[in-house]
Amino acid sequence: MRFFIDDLPVIFPYDYVYPEQYQYMCALKRSLDSKGHGMLEMPSGTGKTISLLSLIIAYQQFYPGRRKLVYCSRTVPEIDKALSELKRLMQYRQSQGCGDENFFGLGLTSRKNLCVHPRVSKERKGAVVDARCREMTASWVRAKAKTEGDIELCDFYEKIQTLEAADLIPTGVYTLEDLTDYGKDNGMCPYYLARRVIPLADVIIYSFHYMLDPKVAELVSKEFEKDSIVVFDEAHNIDSICIDSLSIDINQRTLRASTASVERLGERVEEMKNQNSEKLRDEYDRLVEGLRDALAARDEDLVLTNPILPDHVLREAIPGNIRKADHFVRFLKRFIEYLKARMRVMHVVAETTPSFLKHIREVTYIERKPLRFCAERLASLVRTLEITDLEEYGALAKVAGFATLCSTYDAGFMVLFEPYESDQNRVLNPVLHLACLDAAIAIKPVFQRFNTVIITSGTLSPMEMYPRMLEFAPVVQESFTMTLARQCFAPLVVTRGGDQVTVSSKFEVRNDPAVVRNYGNLLIEMARVVPDGIVAFFPSYLYMESIVAMWNENGVLKDVWRHKLIFVETPDAAETSVALQNYRTACNNGRGAVLLSVARGKVSEGIDFDHNYGRAVVMFGIPYQYTESRILKARLEFMREAHQIRENDFLTFDALRHASQCIGRVLRGKTDYGLMVLADKRYSRADKRSKLPRWINTCLTETSLNLSTDMAIGLMRKFLKAMAQPFDMSAQLGVSMWANEHIVQHGGRGDVVTAESTAMEIDQVG
Amino acid sequence: MVKPAVDDDDDYIDIDDTGPEGLKGADGGYAWEEEYKRSWDVIQEDASGSIQSSVSGLSELQRKRRRRLRDTEVVQRGIMRHVTVVIDQSEAMGVRDMTPTRMHAAMGLAEQFVAEFFDQNPISQLSVVGTRDGLAEKVTELSSNPMDHVGALRNRAQRDLAGEPSLQNALELAMHGLRRAPTHGLREIICVFGSLTTCDPGDIEQTLQALRHADVRVSMVHLAAEVHVFKRICTLTGGSFAVAADADNLRDALFELIPPPPLAAGRATADMVRMGFPIKARATDVPTPCVCHHELSFSGYLCPRCGSKVCSLPTDCDVCGLSLVSAPHLARSYHHLFPEENFVELPGTSVLSEACCFACGVEWNNST
Repeated sequence: MRFFIDDLPVIFPYDYVYPEQYQYMCALKRSLDSKGHGMLEMPSGTGKTISLLSLIIAYQQFYPGRRKLVYCSRTVPEIDKALSELKRLMQYRQSQGCGDENFFGLGLTSRKNLCVHPRVSKERKGAVVDARCREMTASWVRAKAKTEGDIELCDFYEKIQTLEAADLIPTGVYTLEDLTDYGKDNGMCPYYLARRVIPLADVIIYSFHYMLDPKVAELVSKEFEKDSIVVFDEAHNIDSICIDSLSIDINQRTLRASTASVERLGERVEEMKNQNSEKLRDEYDRLVEGLRDALAARDEDLVLTNPILPDHVLREAIPGNIRKADHFVRFLKRFIEYLKARMRVMHVVAETTPSFLKHIREVTYIERKPLRFCAERLASLVRTLEITDLEEYGALAKVAGFATLCSTYDAGFMVLFEPYESDQNRVLNPVLHLACLDAAIAIKPVFQRFNTVIITSGTLSPMEMYPRMLEFAPVVQESFTMTLARQCFAPLVVTRGGDQVTVSSKFEVRNDPAVVRNYGNLLIEMARVVPDGIVAFFPSYLYMESIVAMWNENGVLKDVWRHKLIFVETPDAAETSVALQNYRTACNNGRGAVLLSVARGKVSEGIDFDHNYGRAVVMFGIPYQYTESRILKARLEFMREAHQIRENDFLTFDALRHASQCIGRVLRGKTDYGLMVLADKRYSRADKRSKLPRWINTCLTETSLNLSTDMAIGLMRKFLKAMAQPFDMSAQLGVSMWANEHIVQHGGRGDVVTAESTAMEIDQVG
Repeated sequence: MVKPAVDDDDDYIDIDDTGPEGLKGADGGYAWEEEYKRSWDVIQEDASGSIQSSVSGLSELQRKRRRRLRDTEVVQRGIMRHVTVVIDQSEAMGVRDMTPTRMHAAMGLAEQFVAEFFDQNPISQLSVVGTRDGLAEKVTELSSNPMDHVGALRNRAQRDLAGEPSLQNALELAMHGLRRAPTHGLREIICVFGSLTTCDPGDIEQTLQALRHADVRVSMVHLAAEVHVFKRICTLTGGSFAVAADADNLRDALFELIPPPPLAAGRATADMVRMGFPIKARATDVPTPCVCHHELSFSGYLCPRCGSKVCSLPTDCDVCGLSLVSAPHLARSYHHLFPEENFVELPGTSVLSEACCFACGVEWNNST
């Protein structure tokens, strides 16, 4: 269908548009028009991706400038899904007579997913694929191959090098599969192909990390224009991703490995000195001239990447005392020895980065400045020494990154040393954390560099939290509800068991037999009335283990067993995926199953339980973070001081966004239906409820709050019966689905212009 | 709850709750004599204060109207049906969300269903299969005598409910029985289930393939909720799947299955079927044995081909295998093939010239 938002003709590849999609597009357009950032929340399963793409493509093609779209998503399957939606949209636009000449869209993912080399692509680990690839594509290897001959190179890569970027691939939309197929057919490496043509593309779809992780972003995302449109989809965890990308943990194994690497590095330096001291001198000269020149090396050589460095630092030259290769190796040795000494301390130490640096200077006379250039210098040395087996240097790169990060930032980071695994557990396992506390550090460059950054997800409430944490000012900030012709999900808050004892995962009562029994009874009753699959979430693995053990003793599990099979998520990914597979089988063949899993676990993020795979989801308790964690405490303190966010507010916000992520798993689209049970007394309190996304919150009425188990079961029965009645699709029209005339009715502009004149209009622009 | 209607002019003068008038129910009898009602189901106020009961009453009216507005198009329907009714006898049927239990409600309706089924499909055959404890057992063989089935169902209703049902076993057993049915007839399985799980010995997908191969239609009425595998089997075999919200709903859903279904496009071929129209045996002084029950009786019908005596029609002759029907039976089945036109609803009385109904003589008024 085709309709107008203001004067922009939008072509939408379906016959009807949901009202919330239309509103979403309007809000998105406002944000694009004002060239400001936006935050949009829309329920899962309402076609967020296609709305985003249709509007932005329409915008791109209609207005001059052709703003590039950079679409960041979380996982590879999501990237692939977005690409196929894009492909469908472009086909539809073509059938509607839009020219869209030279439209070019593609996705980028790691070498492991794209490699077509017959031998390398057989490798199963991502790091190994990367290493094997570099062994054949690094510039010094290729230079050597020219003179010596018997070195294996990657033909696919060589083919890319012979062509100009514009000649590599015809324009169009390529899914990841299309890209590898094209690579195979034409003997080109899809990975490098994608990287080469990114500057030419109109739409790029890739993972968050390519944009946020400073190490990777430097390689991939550096050439985008300022008015590109950057979209972060499923971005409810964006602050954690930012923080993770700048946090480094060092344990004894890392240190041992890096000592070994430094030794090897030293040997290589010696070797090179004897054979070819010319190169080392060249490098020294280059370093004198300044860092930027060194960085001008070709992108595929940039291998040991460095964390974010402010521009003024990059303009400086590398300090004299680490310019010489053997000096630098000795410097690294000293630094590692220092860290080893720190590891021998038997008590917890938490300090700011300046005090950590001060201590280093007092003990080892290492100044701040050379530390800051550590990562840069290491990368340069590795390049000079022509080292290809980089995975062996991973630990050393980590240590160098640690040095650089903690000497670059004064605020927003903390150095924390913990000798034991946990306070109760006295197993010695010393870890040195460099914890990033400020999510804004990683994402700030993105907000500054691009005019429009859109953050969108199914669960962003409460929305005022993100602008404060990420330090940006959105011009558009909206939350949309789902318009439904029938109420296809039912949130229920269970606060009491059948015996009227309140249930809660509060620390004081969580192991109380009455609470455990009532939680168990709830699960038994649900297993009895809910068909097919039920997903149960617990706040943590620890709690799940203890409660499942208690259920085993008092016979709850046996009762559940009579109705459904039980599967459990474990921290082990392989085990979990087997459990998931069997769970799905049991949901398909009528046996029925319960999946016990953990909020914040693998299952709660990214795995959908649509239709029969999840007719009900139950959240036992509120998934608060482990508040005794020192890193969390430090982060809370930092946020209170820097962003004026109260500890409790953040903890509740974080717990509830995970809870709503979990319960949102059950509903994937308007034909789906599911029950969402929140089993904790605290959910009925207004301060908790108000932090749930608006689309869930509006459905929490008096009747669904403060229920006991038996009342909830009654409601469930009724809901399931009501949902199983045949549903007349025509009832949706005009209510939850709009055709052109409904858009006009609601004050928009449908396709009132005749088809011909619109086509002309578009042609003129295209 | 239905409150006794009290004349509001008088109620403050003489309020006599204990008097016989005050206790009169809506039907004129005493309240305790009335049928047991779940009053909390009748009136349900939701958060917005609306009363669902009135809404559901409206939808009931709509349903009735829809039932009356049948599809009158002439399509080829399979009027010779071979149906197996599968009844779930698992623990889940003991749940009391229908009065008194799901099992009793379902059995009562199943009896009505059988009677109505043979009334409208006289030349069809039916058998009953029960399933519990993961097993399936045959309750009655394929036959066209409604009394056989009703009697067996009554006996069944007294039995204990146990374990879980096995859909796969039940379907295999039913399919085995239907395999004998002639190819010109329609093979159907109608399940009444209350359980949300099925306890199967093997892969139910294979059963599904076998069902499709044998051209068996599976329909199901479920008493609790939509279960993926049940719905899948129903839709893939061309049957229907319905969930009954209450007893009325269950009745509607079951009775929807009574009119013979249209034939699938590929199967609509003309077949010659040999049938016999037996003569009624002349009453004799001495009882003669029948071939169907081997009992002595005074009356019966004589097969036109072999002359053996059967007790009731329609049936298959036990000696020569000829289908025996009477002309009214055929006629009754035929009305499904050529349905009468729907009645046209006319607004108000203005259109009508006569003041009363032509057929029954009742006077028109606005409420009818």
